[in-house]
Amino acid sequence: MIATAFSLLVPMETEEAQIARGLRRRDPDLLDALIEQYQHRLMRYLLHLTGNRAVAEDLFQETWLRVLEKGHLYDGRNRFVTWLMSIGHNVAIDHLRKRNLSSLDEMKDPEDGTPFEPPASGPSPFDLASAQQQQEKFQEALAQVAPIFREVLVLRFQEQMKLEEIAQLIRIPVSTVKTRIYRGVQALRPALKGGAQ
Amino acid sequence: MTDHDHERAIDLIARQGVEDVSTPDLTWLESHVALCPECAGYAEDFGRTGQLLRSVAITASPALVMTTQARLRARALYLQEQRSRLVLIAISFCIGAMSSALSAWLWWRFGGWVAQHVGLPTAIVEPGILLFLLLPAIVIAGLLLAFPRPVFEGALLSGLAREREGEIR
Repeated sequence: MIATAFSLLVPMETEEAQIARGLRRRDPDLLDALIEQYQHRLMRYLLHLTGNRAVAEDLFQETWLRVLEKGHLYDGRNRFVTWLMSIGHNVAIDHLRKRNLSSLDEMKDPEDGTPFEPPASGPSPFDLASAQQQQEKFQEALAQVAPIFREVLVLRFQEQMKLEEIAQLIRIPVSTVKTRIYRGVQALRPALKGGAQ
Repeated sequence: MTDHDHERAIDLIARQGVEDVSTPDLTWLESHVALCPECAGYAEDFGRTGQLLRSVAITASPALVMTTQARLRARALYLQEQRSRLVLIAISFCIGAMSSALSAWLWWRFGGWVAQHVGLPTAIVEPGILLFLLLPAIVIAGLLLAFPRPVFEGALLSGLAREREGEIR
């Protein structure tokens, strides 16, 4: 009875609050768990943003190091994934500055210009043969889309983020997010039409 | 149909699926898309883009995850040690400051006692003794201000740099 009353009085700590507390303490076990949990999402975002796996892997490590160092700045009020992605975004921008590039548009694979190296997936290659062909075509088209548009498409479709979250992450107005999504989809239209044929 | 209608439709299409869109808004969107081929095309492309993007399988390699976890643990340990060192330095500084103030007061009193027994003016002997005690520190501080780099560059900073390199390796 007393325990129930106490639990009603003391609100349950949210997952975000627990993460924020752990980050302030620089808890290595928590960091291990966070890396495990968010590895694919962060990698996917960085790879789409940079278009280069080697660079994305470097930025992946750099992002987590920054999470460790700046962890005390996370207050737990927003979703952790949004904060993590914003750190990844800043790390990518810093990388650009070091390379003396002026914008995200210039971040392309220096070797062959084919940014994506996603592994072929699916239970049966036989069943997915045509779908894979279309997927490859789509990825080629996606690689040609300017990174600023690609970034919002990835955040919206793969990370399932709200427009406001994307705006907060990239620090742009919501209207700009909508415009970028619109223009990104428009840029992919030929590949989408081609795949449908 | 106005431009505002198209903007509203584009906004709702972008929010649909991830955010809560009210039933009246959805009904309005459906009726608008049924009448507007441009927005209908956009809605179709939007859905197809999402479908294709979600089917892209990108994963972080286990080796990368393990390396990152190891680097993070090492870095966390280093930062923890650094913080402990800073605490020790802060405590040492406080103790040093307090003992310096106490000893300065004692030497000041001693200067007054000596001045009384020797018969010299206390206004000269008291600060004189204190100045004599502080002289080495004043000289070193002056040298550091005059030549900040050469004094440290050779020994302390390069030593710290070497230590750090060793830790990274």
